[in-house]
Amino acid sequence: MRHTAAIAGRELRSYFTSPVAYAVLVLFSLLGGFFFVLQLSSFNAAVAFYQQTQQLQALESVNLNDYLIFGFYQLMWLVLLILVPGLTMGLFSSEKANGTEELLLTSPVTIWEIVLGKYLAAAAMVTILTAVLAALTGIVFFYGDPEPLQTAAGLAGVWLVGLAYAAVGSFTSSVTRSPLIAFFFSVFLLFILFMLGPAADMGMAGATGSEADGVLRVLRWLSSEGHFNELTTGLVDTRALAYFGFIIGVFLLLTKASFESVRWR
Amino acid sequence: MIEVNGIRKRYGDFVAVDDVSFSAGAGEVIGFLGPNGAGKTTTMRILTGFLPATDGTASIAGHDIHKAPLEARRATGYLPESPPVYPEMEVRSYLTYVSKLKDVPRAKRREAVDRALERCGLTDVDRRPIGQLSKGYRQRVGIAQAIVHEPQVLILDEPTVGLDPNQILEIRELLASLAASKDGETGHTIVLSTHILAEVEALCRRVILIRQGKKVLDQPLDEITRDGGSLEAVFARLTLRGDVGDEVASGSDAETGAEG
Ligand SMILES: Nc1ncnc2c1ncn2[C@@H]1O[C@H](COP(=O)(O)OP(=O)(O)O)[C@@H](O)[C@H]1O
Ligand SMILES: [Mg+2]
Repeated sequence: MRHTAAIAGRELRSYFTSPVAYAVLVLFSLLGGFFFVLQLSSFNAAVAFYQQTQQLQALESVNLNDYLIFGFYQLMWLVLLILVPGLTMGLFSSEKANGTEELLLTSPVTIWEIVLGKYLAAAAMVTILTAVLAALTGIVFFYGDPEPLQTAAGLAGVWLVGLAYAAVGSFTSSVTRSPLIAFFFSVFLLFILFMLGPAADMGMAGATGSEADGVLRVLRWLSSEGHFNELTTGLVDTRALAYFGFIIGVFLLLTKASFESVRWR
Repeated sequence: MIEVNGIRKRYGDFVAVDDVSFSAGAGEVIGFLGPNGAGKTTTMRILTGFLPATDGTASIAGHDIHKAPLEARRATGYLPESPPVYPEMEVRSYLTYVSKLKDVPRAKRREAVDRALERCGLTDVDRRPIGQLSKGYRQRVGIAQAIVHEPQVLILDEPTVGLDPNQILEIRELLASLAASKDGETGHTIVLSTHILAEVEALCRRVILIRQGKKVLDQPLDEITRDGGSLEAVFARLTLRGDVGDEVASGSDAETGAEG
């Protein structure tokens, strides 16, 4: 694994010598700031409305975590669905386009070292984005007092989702030499992965028979949506962790197979 | 130093390399000749571990390329048809990166990179992004990455293709210096593919000629020219006979090279 660090380091440096990293960071911060202000003002409006109309019970339910932070993270989760593919699109496709694939595959390096090195670089970028989000969330702590644990769990949720997206993006980058195709392919795959859950719900409403039920359950589990919602509400349970571990593992395996597939042809 | 035994490569139903065997002793410089599409690149990709052979075995510096791939690759330096460089990286940091991939020990890296820069005449441009260099200089960077870990064997795929006449001469001089023995040590064992006959005459002691995947000649250069024969005549006789149908396909190879 000693080559992994060298490969990850080169990848990270190349993020910061090209506009990619800066573009993603700036976009993420701008959209983050925008959605944060949006959630904040809608939170304030809700509180003001319930106070005026004396709906005390409703007022109770509008707390900082559930209403403000949870809603904010859900929006950021969609932002990541677009930005993480931007970070991963060049990981493998540009090696093919540069011809450096031949350098990597003729060096005394294993395929896993290459795949992990590249994935770790993308994971580091996702971690930086999560840190930006943590900083924005910090503002809420000046403003009121949300549950720290619940907030941390929500942040961990965003981080895990980003890591899973990066694995999916690594895979799509390994099937083409065009970063643009890799980008659209991963947005498409991530969207499908998300929609499996709501689609299964719709199916469940009309489904009869235990067999269909079983399939829909599997689809529901495969969908990122439910697991993410659990995490953002502050429920870090092992099932959600297993889910994200599963997605990351499967897509890194696919990436490895796809990157070394030049050798099978 | 290099032992190749009955290497064969099939792409689907198409046989690109058909039962090729040869060997090269330490310090030998072999010209690997053949018309476009003959299977030169495919053979080199097999020897460097980029592609597995469908059949046959080979070893580099005593390491079987299939059974001990990492050891075999460590003993090999490889310049593909287009230099495998990252345009945004500076020459020095690129070579440092390659030296890590090739397992140059940390304490020796700087020295190894400096030496490769110097031998390839890159010392003055070591902080320049590779993408800003001329084609000839980019080719030098490609050669520098092949020698940075002091491999015993060098495999160079058309090292002068696409260069102007001056650049070609410079690269040829560089290759001659890599082949020459220095301070009592033998030089690199080199396999060099080309379809420029003058290059072979300038650099190589032995010629291997392949045509449609098959080896058709394996002879020391001086034997070929001894009786007033010329490499041109031999090349023409052995390659023009019959159909030379595979030229279209390797045209696509050349395109890939031009993109990078
Ligand atoms: N990946 C590939 N898939 C199918 N055919 C290939 C592939 N690579 C090379 N070939 C074919 O194999 C033959 C030999 O190609 P190559 O080794 O590149 O020849 P050379 O380097 O001597 O010009 C050509 O006919 C080429 O079309
Ligand atoms: Mg070729």
